[in-house]
Amino acid sequence: MIIAPASPRFCNRNATGLASVVLVAITTLSLAETKKEYRFDVGPHAKVSIVNQFGKVSVKPSPGNYVLVNATVYSDKVEVDQSQNGSRVDVQSHLLAGANSDNARVDYDVLVPADSNVEMESATGPLHAEKLHGDVEAEGANAPIDVRDIAGSHVHVKTMNGTVTLTNIRDGHVEIDSVSGDVILNSVTGPLVRVSSTTGRIQYDGDFGYAGEYRFNSHSGNIDATIPADASVDVKAQSVRGQVQNDVPLQPKVHTSFLVREGSSFAGTFNKAASSVWLRTFSGRIHLKKR
Amino acid sequence: MTCAEFQRELPEYLEGGAPQLRDHLNMCPSCSGLVASLESISREARQLQASEEPSPRVWNSIEIALRQEKLIREPRPRNTLVPSLFQRWGAMAWAVPVAAALLVVVGISLYQRPSSPTDARQRTAGNTPAVTAKFAGDPSDEQLLQEVSRRAPLMRDAYERNLKDVNDYIKDAQDSVNADPNDEEAQQALIDAYGQKSMIYEMALDRSLP
Repeated sequence: MIIAPASPRFCNRNATGLASVVLVAITTLSLAETKKEYRFDVGPHAKVSIVNQFGKVSVKPSPGNYVLVNATVYSDKVEVDQSQNGSRVDVQSHLLAGANSDNARVDYDVLVPADSNVEMESATGPLHAEKLHGDVEAEGANAPIDVRDIAGSHVHVKTMNGTVTLTNIRDGHVEIDSVSGDVILNSVTGPLVRVSSTTGRIQYDGDFGYAGEYRFNSHSGNIDATIPADASVDVKAQSVRGQVQNDVPLQPKVHTSFLVREGSSFAGTFNKAASSVWLRTFSGRIHLKKR
Repeated sequence: MTCAEFQRELPEYLEGGAPQLRDHLNMCPSCSGLVASLESISREARQLQASEEPSPRVWNSIEIALRQEKLIREPRPRNTLVPSLFQRWGAMAWAVPVAAALLVVVGISLYQRPSSPTDARQRTAGNTPAVTAKFAGDPSDEQLLQEVSRRAPLMRDAYERNLKDVNDYIKDAQDSVNADPNDEEAQQALIDAYGQKSMIYEMALDRSLP
């Protein structure tokens, strides 16, 4: 059987049709995606709240005393409500009829003065904040949460499933509640660092600062802490039904608030014991390591 | 009487007053389930052995946790529910308001938050959704999951899984407190476990739920 080659006219017609389809698709997508920008002039210690349902929220410092919100809206099933009262700025994704997790996504990229207090929510996330020295609150049931380079502030994080990563948080008052999401802390220090988890793993890498109180507890999530040779800590670790492992040469404590049992608990001091560290889990494993 | 009106009178009912509320309880399985849960908590608390007054650190931790969950804002005057509970249940009453406040707030949130006109009409008419039996003994959990199923069916499995894990946490923490009521760390673990459950409820009912 001989297959006759397509005529040039036939090929041209098909290519034109395909190009038309592609052009329509691109146009449709471009029309569905809308970018909006809002600018608010604010005073010192502004309060900025970004409440999103689906999509990312990213907050970074702005070079001046203003809040700049860039919102990318992906469909007409959601609109952005925004308001300002003095130095309080509220931005919220408002779902319309027919909205769902697939069609109601909005991505926010926000610049705020570095001393602003920021509150951000998104069920799906991700949530990101960096280089601020105001308070940061981040909440999202499924949202991966990443907070870094924050100094002298309160950092409060709540999640159900999302992974929480905190990096370079200095002199912070940190409180993290995660049910099943893992919590990863790198160089996080402050007068108070509290992490509470049900099944999520807690991982800490840092020196525990100076004169702070660190409390990590979980139900069944493992707790791993890695400290450098110059860390100064007073450590207590207890796993009610699991195992503990200590690789750090601690000076044993004479008196402890619980009975120290080989394999399920340990307590001791390292160097000058400046910070108090309490690691507790019901059935997870605790491992204290030296870097 | 509507469920909202009942829950406004609930503190008085728990103190032994307001007998007229019993009629509503006899007709409303949801409110009766809520009261049953609160009474179960108070019975469990009474069975705990009397102990010394918890240290100030324990009180401070409880207050911090409650303020974070926005369950308390201003100090209460002496003639309100909390001090009268202390008089009734003695030194272990610290566990009761924590758990009771959690359940009451959740119950009120579930009943006073009509998210659509249809839901509001159904609640006004006294219709209550059927309660399936997956979370035996805790109707609040099942009602929460039904709400999640209605708002975001794809999230139900995740919430159910996490609720189960947290309930296991609460049970283990409660067992530890029962084994040694003087163990402050066990008490703190129980508070933490309830805090985790409170957080799941908040997320499920908050605007951030997908």
